[in-house]
Amino acid sequence: MGVEANRSRLVATLARVAGGDRAALKTVYQDTSAKLFGVCVRILNDKSEAEDVLQEVYLTVWRKAPSFDPARASPITWLVAIARNRSIDRLRAVAGGRRMEPIETAGEVRDPAPAAVDLVQAAQQSSRLGACLEQLESRQSIAIRSAFLDGNTYEELAERMGVPLGTMKSWIRRGLLKLRDCLER
Amino acid sequence: MSDDGTNIPGQGGRLVAAEYVLGVLDAAERQSAQQRMARNQAFADEVAFWEERLGALADAVEPITPPARAWTRIAGSLRMRDGAAPRESLWQSLAFWRSFAIGSAALAAASIGALTFIEITPLPRAPLLATLDSTSGQPSFVAAVNAGGTSLLVVPASLLAPDQRAFELWLIPAGEAPHSLGLIEPGQPVRIDVPRELVARITTDAALAVSIEPPGGSPTGQPTGPVIASGKLASL
Repeated sequence: MGVEANRSRLVATLARVAGGDRAALKTVYQDTSAKLFGVCVRILNDKSEAEDVLQEVYLTVWRKAPSFDPARASPITWLVAIARNRSIDRLRAVAGGRRMEPIETAGEVRDPAPAAVDLVQAAQQSSRLGACLEQLESRQSIAIRSAFLDGNTYEELAERMGVPLGTMKSWIRRGLLKLRDCLER
Repeated sequence: MSDDGTNIPGQGGRLVAAEYVLGVLDAAERQSAQQRMARNQAFADEVAFWEERLGALADAVEPITPPARAWTRIAGSLRMRDGAAPRESLWQSLAFWRSFAIGSAALAAASIGALTFIEITPLPRAPLLATLDSTSGQPSFVAAVNAGGTSLLVVPASLLAPDQRAFELWLIPAGEAPHSLGLIEPGQPVRIDVPRELVARITTDAALAVSIEPPGGSPTGQPTGPVIASGKLASL
């Protein structure tokens, strides 16, 4: 199935979920759980925590489906946002499990870190965002991608990239402002 | 602050929305952003803008198929929220008999304990028994209701890791919302006195379930955490 067909199918199925159709929720689960579980595991760095959160995610989908507006959000983005928010809320509530391995910045990479591989894939698959990220300094764009994918706080990112907290805040905030200008164009 | 870009006029609110979506805020800041979304439409719109645009970054995440039990847990929680749905009878359930056949020593011991509990009481009506299957399909608790329906013994059938969160037991009569029966222990048998108003509802139409709750139990009177085990009551 093509991307558009997938999207229409998911929108239609979410509409059935909104109407209280449990079989439809199972269909949504079958179509999206691997993606959302991947998102949860990536952030929580712990499969058992991720499994707990995955349950909360689909119960939230069940509850919130009536408020999903296909004119405003793509269905998979909406689902990913729920999975990320639930995972990050859980990560902030528990100690440990955070991804704290150092992030290499592109210019210094000899052996590409996983974050760098992700970077290339993300850029290829989402051209508009990718093009806008390209316009940032590489360390800014790496910090933004790592923050999104791993759910780190400013403090954790500063530690992982070996820079002072103020520098990290500045990189990301200025990066986000530039990104917004670019995305709005 | 000059180091962080917040001095740029008119950008403070926008930045917080972006930072929330990016995931760099701490717990207190996230909570405050979530409250702001609920009462400020412009802020909520800004969050939606970033979720839609940054969402594409998730393309880089490798999908991982969750274990099969994950869906079982979700379906179990839904049943709990809406009241118990009809389920296959415990005694017809192959999984139940198989669990005996496999010979789980813990389950056997738990069942014997439960049966002893039942038999020492007089029999004004048939006693009831439930195995509460965990999400992996393994029995994790055995619950026995005495013949009067006034008391319940819950025996752990498998070892659960000690957990600072509370395990709360729920009675779910058919078509009704769950009623709390109180907290149980993952590591030892617990005897629970059934509240008088619930005695008549403990029937073979009802199910029992265990959810994980904050210390002290559910703050709302309804399950708030994940359901870790559930099972239907059956006549002995």
